[in-house]
Amino acid sequence: MKSRSLSVILTLVLLLTMILSACSGNKSNNDSSSTSSSSSGSTASSGSSAASSGGEGGSSSLAGKKIEMSILGIGGWVPSQLSVEMSPAFAEYAKEKYGYDVTFTFEEAPFSSLFQKAAASLSTKSQEFNIIISDSQWLGAFAEPGWIVSVNEIMQQEPELANIEWFDPVVQKAYMTYPDGTDQLWGFPQEGDVLVLYVRKDMLSDPTEQANFKAKYGFDLPQTFEDFEQLTIDKFLKMAEFFTRPEQDLYGTAVQYSKEYDYFTGSFYPHIWSSGGEIWDPVSGDVYGVLNTENNAKALETFVSIRNYMPPGAENYGIAQVTEAFTQGKLFSAYHWAAVGAAMITPELQDKVMVVPIPGYEVNGEIKRISSIGGQPWVINKFNDEDHMRVAIDFLKWWYLPETQLEFAKRGGNPTTKAALESPDFDSIQPWFRAYRYSLTESRARDFWHHPKYSELLSIQQEEFTSYLTGGRSSAAETLEVIACKQQQIMYDAGTTKNAPPAACANIR
Amino acid sequence: MKGIAKWLHERNLFPYALLVPVLIFFIVWNILPLLWMVGLSFYKYDITTGEPLKFLGMDNYQAIFRDHGIWQALSKTFLFVILAVGLETILGMALGFLFWGSSKMPGRRLALTLLFSPMILTPVAAGTFFRLIYDPVFGIANYYLEAWFGLKINFLGDVKWAYPAVLMVDIWMWTPFMILMTLAALGSVPKAELEAAQVDRLPWIRRLWHIVLPHGKFILMLGILLRTIDAFKTMDLIYTMTSGGPGNATELIAISLFRKAFEAFTMGNASALAIISLLIAIAFTSIYLYILNYKERRA
Repeated sequence: MKSRSLSVILTLVLLLTMILSACSGNKSNNDSSSTSSSSSGSTASSGSSAASSGGEGGSSSLAGKKIEMSILGIGGWVPSQLSVEMSPAFAEYAKEKYGYDVTFTFEEAPFSSLFQKAAASLSTKSQEFNIIISDSQWLGAFAEPGWIVSVNEIMQQEPELANIEWFDPVVQKAYMTYPDGTDQLWGFPQEGDVLVLYVRKDMLSDPTEQANFKAKYGFDLPQTFEDFEQLTIDKFLKMAEFFTRPEQDLYGTAVQYSKEYDYFTGSFYPHIWSSGGEIWDPVSGDVYGVLNTENNAKALETFVSIRNYMPPGAENYGIAQVTEAFTQGKLFSAYHWAAVGAAMITPELQDKVMVVPIPGYEVNGEIKRISSIGGQPWVINKFNDEDHMRVAIDFLKWWYLPETQLEFAKRGGNPTTKAALESPDFDSIQPWFRAYRYSLTESRARDFWHHPKYSELLSIQQEEFTSYLTGGRSSAAETLEVIACKQQQIMYDAGTTKNAPPAACANIR
Repeated sequence: MKGIAKWLHERNLFPYALLVPVLIFFIVWNILPLLWMVGLSFYKYDITTGEPLKFLGMDNYQAIFRDHGIWQALSKTFLFVILAVGLETILGMALGFLFWGSSKMPGRRLALTLLFSPMILTPVAAGTFFRLIYDPVFGIANYYLEAWFGLKINFLGDVKWAYPAVLMVDIWMWTPFMILMTLAALGSVPKAELEAAQVDRLPWIRRLWHIVLPHGKFILMLGILLRTIDAFKTMDLIYTMTSGGPGNATELIAISLFRKAFEAFTMGNASALAIISLLIAIAFTSIYLYILNYKERRA
């Protein structure tokens, strides 16, 4: 009995020791990563260092070598796959210019788990993925732990990359910068993207439809790109109502309401911004009082009302469902990303679709429209050895050559350089390019939440938005109040704002 | 080498030595990560910020107990476990008895093989099939509902339907497991006792109560226990179909846990929730074992 008690005590002591050692070990690991994080805030102090592998001299030292590069990108996402499909052209270029052989492999993960896959590898300081196609909102989360190379450092060594002219300042803000408002750059744009409106041109141009619509609503169906520039959300909703004919299995429009990843958020935010609202105050770091406003509640109500003109099952619509419904001819129109243009405009729909900017909101007598920025930046693994770092930089230099960007555009990708977007025939390369170019400006498109707490902020709002959509929250105002309280707490805990959530937040459920 | 074996034999340590490889594996892959997780549950750890760990004491646990969403998810999970395991057990036992008593039925083997196939599928594949089957626009379920009854149901998009719809998929998938356990339980009953019951013309309900259940109850209870733990952990099947939506209609506790860990990346908070879930699963097991051994203890 005595020995039994002794063994129980010993086991408990052992367990306690292990728990404590596990925690203390964890702390020291993290302490060290935080040190590298702070140093990485100003320099790319990688093991290989972007600086040390910089310059053409670095590339020539690779002559005769065989390098295998790995890119982690988004699964089933054409622009990500294009980078690998085009990589043989880089292999030829590298062989000729630098004298080394390079091959590429492509690892992929869906949007919702790409960061998880990358983080699992990068946190072990692995160079499993030499280049990563990240979502723009993850820049902070990659940069803070010190996992990716500072682009400022690369640019000091690589004038070709430093001198690239982007189409609009919004490109640098969305795909390269963290924290917002600083000159600290962490990524290069791989794919530009904005939310646009795909419309069935053949239905719009039908004289019977035109006459019936005019008789019912008293204004003409828009026909041209310029007509759509003047289109407000109120008028658009009337069009969506007109073309909603369940008996014909035809519906007016579709947006993304899914709880998955940022689907609801990315589709909804343009309604806040376009109606004159904001999602937070980047200067003070406050969400409470900025998000939970009457204007934003009305925008949320408007966005959710679009469901009336969508096919059954709209509540679970994400990227794939919108694309599928549109290509099956069930939709008159669809809010969707410019990046999926190639998938949306199938050979059967080739001359039947026009792509235009999203409808605007009338604010103070003017039509205001601000789209969501999609797209992804390249980020470079900080733990690459010198050879892989060198090839990654060479690859990016090749990527932004005018001919490479043009080829990317022809294959269905959305380039971001000024040279590509201002080339004379750019709008005619792809049917969605005019709307893409029109929207990709600072006054017409915005990205959201370049903050390391992005995942937590997003998770909360996706849950609450979809809860409102499906009746779990009774009003738009209540939904925004709950989100604002929870996000204010996150920002307060993260030290982004000095203001704790107000006392009223203590009662939210 | 021989010397070591002899030394172990002399001290009656050989059986323990045989256990060592398994124990090492168990400690490295189960115990250490578990202890790590226990430790982590007392800290603030967010992998996206690069901040050092911060000791919070019981804050993560308190936050979970204050979280209305977690309580909702827990209640949905308990209901899911009761309904899924209950219906699977009833259906599984009924079908098990049916197959047991029809050994001469033509095509029995084929029928059994087909019946067991849902259980063999990965939950992600089954979830994907059913997402398509339930699709309100082109799904086959709505095609027939409309053709036969003029109905269209948005199974996974309607808050009222989503929960029963995912429950049905779980029942479809795991009833075969309970059939298997029932057949195993019936197989463990001594034939002599069954024959004696037949000679005595004992009604089937009494035969079940006095002969089958006393012999087969352990296997059946084991089946129920395994299903209970498994149903409590259900995540991939539902996540593939609804991601826990629409709204929170199908968000069970394992989905909440996944979202905390791998969507919000709040690892400390997720670890605390994982520990609470583990304790609940252990409680389930203890209750079952208590019930199972109740009679023996009384005797």
